[in-house]
Amino acid sequence: MKMLKTFTAWASVTLAIFVLQTMTSNAQTPKLADDEIASVAVVANKGDIGFAQIAQKKSKNAEILKFAHTMASDHQAVIDQAVALVTKLKVTPKDNAVSKKMVADNAKTQKMLNSKSAKDFDKAYIDNEVAYHKAVINAVETILIPQAQNAELKGLLQQVVPTLKAHLQHAEMVQTEISK
Amino acid sequence: MMSIRTFGGNALVLVFPLIILAGCSTTPTPEKYKPKTFTIEIYQMKFQPALLTVHKGDTVEWVNKDIVSHDVTQVPNNLWSSSNLLPGKSWKMAVEETDDYYCSIHVVMVGKLIVE
Repeated sequence: MKMLKTFTAWASVTLAIFVLQTMTSNAQTPKLADDEIASVAVVANKGDIGFAQIAQKKSKNAEILKFAHTMASDHQAVIDQAVALVTKLKVTPKDNAVSKKMVADNAKTQKMLNSKSAKDFDKAYIDNEVAYHKAVINAVETILIPQAQNAELKGLLQQVVPTLKAHLQHAEMVQTEISK
Repeated sequence: MMSIRTFGGNALVLVFPLIILAGCSTTPTPEKYKPKTFTIEIYQMKFQPALLTVHKGDTVEWVNKDIVSHDVTQVPNNLWSSSNLLPGKSWKMAVEETDDYYCSIHVVMVGKLIVE
C-alpha cells in the first residue's frame, strides 16, 4: 500500500515538478518559440490519449471507461485543431527540452499504469488524470499562452483551457466516486 | 299581474343577450401566442445561457461553438437527447416542460429550461 501511494504520488507530481523546476528560475526558463509550443501542446495531448488507451484495455469500471473515452476523443480533437493551425501557418512542431521531458515522463507513467493490477488500476489512473490535468493547465496558462507569439496559436491555447478545466472537474468527480 | 310578469320575462329574454353581445363586442380577443426560437451556445464548456425561461411550444436550438463534441441530454431520466454534436453542429427541439439537462460526455456541464 505504501509502495502504491509512493508510486501514484510520483506519477501525480512528475510533470508539475518538471514545470516548476524549469519555470521558477529565470536562468532555466526555456524560451519557447511557436513551433516548440505547438510540439509541447501535441505531446501533452498525445500523453493523455495514451493513458486513456491503457484504461480502455485494463479497466472494467463504467465511469473510468466513459471518462477515458472522453479523454481520447477530446484530446484527439485538440490535436486535430493544432495540426490544422500549424499547417495553415506553415509551422512544423519542433522538439524541445520541455516536449522531450514530457515524452519521457509520459512513457514512465504508461509503464506504471500498465504494471497495475486490475484492483489497483482505476485509482492509479484517475489520480494521475487529476494531477496531469492540473499540471497541464498550469503549464498552458503560465508558460505556453504567455510565450505564444502568433495570435491564432495563442487563441487556440486559450480555447483549450476551459476544456482542460472541465476534464479536471470530471476527473475529480470520478476520483470521489470510485473512492467510496 | 300576469301581464306584468310576462312583460318582465320577455324583457329579460331580450335584454340579457344584448348585454352579452355588447360585452363580446367591447372585450379584445387575446392574440394567439406565436412560439419563438431561442439559441443556446455551447462555448468554453458551458451552456450559454445555462438558465433559460421560455413558453411551452417555444423552440430552443443548441449550437456547438466549442472545439470538442457535446450533446444535450435531459436529466435525470434521459427523456430526450440530441445526438453527438460535432463542433459547428446544432440541434433543436420544441420545449414542453421545465427540465434540467446536461452534456453526457462532459458531465460537469449543466443547464435548465424553465417553462412559464
